[in-house]
Amino acid sequence: MIEAQEIETKLLDFLKREVFAPEVAVIPETDLVASGFDSMSLVRLLLFIETDYGFWIPESEITGDALKNVRALANTIARLLNAR
Amino acid sequence: MNLTELLDQTASRWPRKPALIEGEIILSYAGLVQKIAELAAQLQLLQMKPCCRVGLCLPNSINYVALTFALWRVNAVVVPIPTECTEEESSNIAEAMRLDAIIGQKPHGQSVRLSADLFFTKLSPTSPPENHGLNVAFIRFTSGTTSARKGVVLSHETIRDRVLASNKFLRIGPDDTVMWCLPMSHHFLVTIVLYLSVGATIVLARHVLARPFLEAVNRWRGTVLYAAPFHYALLARDNSDAKISSVRLAVSTTCSLPQDVAENFHQRFGLRLTPALGVIELGLVCVNDNPAARADSVGRPQPDYAVHIRNPDSDGYGEIVFAGPGFFDAYDNPWTPREQLMPDGWFATGDIGRVDAQGYLFLAGRKVAVINLAGRKVFPEEIETVLNRHPDVRESRVFGATHPHLGETVEAEIVLNAPDAGLDSVRAFCREQLASYKIPTRFTVVNALPRTPVTGKIRRATAVA
Repeated sequence: MIEAQEIETKLLDFLKREVFAPEVAVIPETDLVASGFDSMSLVRLLLFIETDYGFWIPESEITGDALKNVRALANTIARLLNAR
Repeated sequence: MNLTELLDQTASRWPRKPALIEGEIILSYAGLVQKIAELAAQLQLLQMKPCCRVGLCLPNSINYVALTFALWRVNAVVVPIPTECTEEESSNIAEAMRLDAIIGQKPHGQSVRLSADLFFTKLSPTSPPENHGLNVAFIRFTSGTTSARKGVVLSHETIRDRVLASNKFLRIGPDDTVMWCLPMSHHFLVTIVLYLSVGATIVLARHVLARPFLEAVNRWRGTVLYAAPFHYALLARDNSDAKISSVRLAVSTTCSLPQDVAENFHQRFGLRLTPALGVIELGLVCVNDNPAARADSVGRPQPDYAVHIRNPDSDGYGEIVFAGPGFFDAYDNPWTPREQLMPDGWFATGDIGRVDAQGYLFLAGRKVAVINLAGRKVFPEEIETVLNRHPDVRESRVFGATHPHLGETVEAEIVLNAPDAGLDSVRAFCREQLASYKIPTRFTVVNALPRTPVTGKIRRATAVA
């Protein structure tokens, strides 16, 4: 069982480091799309999850709800991982 | 001739028609021309020299479009700088293209504020650029291999010619509404300029997601989609019951279209994707007018273009060359005119392919190593140059690994100077120097790199599965 909290911490670290500009404050409630998350950011995110968690998030799971903020994204990843 | 004349003609014919839609803002053609005039007046106050080169570093927006045309109105040359560039990469572009100024969202030193989040920063190029008598409008910088990083120079006349030629098949007109999602810093001429010169409406869709994009298509009754296979893959997997019945044309560009994406999209929406081949030096040269029969072809040359396979092997595969109107005028720095590069009128793309009996072109690889990550081109030499500058790295080799969803991903093999040196500092170094999509997803430490037997050069890897 992987906790969403643990994924959230890793995601925050990844997003701060590799996706957003240093001046963007990224917290669990950050609205990703409103902060400039674009399709190349999505590619980086999907690759990060594939590399670190060993699975590709199905395109049908990449919804507005899942990408609402970091917390929602972590919850989606946790659900998919724990269902495997 | 100035490209702003194309827009002025459209605006005088359809002043009230929406030109650009961004969020809840609907800007008419008359409104766009007005906005361009205001920006041009501001630029004029900055006393820019004619033909000066201005880097434009902005995300997709009405401002992006208006500033490009405003710069053209004051006879400046537009050089797009992708927003994902690091500071290091931006200054490389500024130096190589000898930019006189940069317009972006961040102030630097003595920047002049053009609007709330728009700053004009004057630069001092060491040697002023020379346009050799050409009426230059646009230069696209392409990092390419380190020895071949260059600007592709396009004049106003060239862009007009290619815009006219590219619409012979697409037939985009005033009844069309184009749903836009590609970065304008990479795609602007046979797209945005074309749409605005024929009176179409452009909807700037700020989605990375299928659901809001489909909602936008239906809200604005979009008729044309122009996107990369990656976007179509996302749309095809949408599991709502949203339809896109208003769409008549969905062009797939930037990299070859995987067959499963083409098939899934067709099944989901009942519409065939139209593969096309665009080349920055040439324009949109090929469009597939019969994807149902030849889904894996980039199509036939559009009416004004011709394709030829040079030195074909026994199976018909050889180097793809094109002839046609609106080809680039020159490369810059060093300045190399088109005539010198294609004395016989044919441009060698560096792609390998074949043409079938009906004239359909099939791509089969490249002569020059390039990695295609979800439609973005990554040049191995550029990444290797950065890696090799790190003190712990003795040498490196970068290659594309086949990826089922993205085409290819970037991977690196590295020989370290000391066996116990870690990779963390190499990764951090890459993050400082390279746009994030260029950073290798995987690093492998190796003892030695394979070399070619005669020259001793590092052997270039082809894509590995």
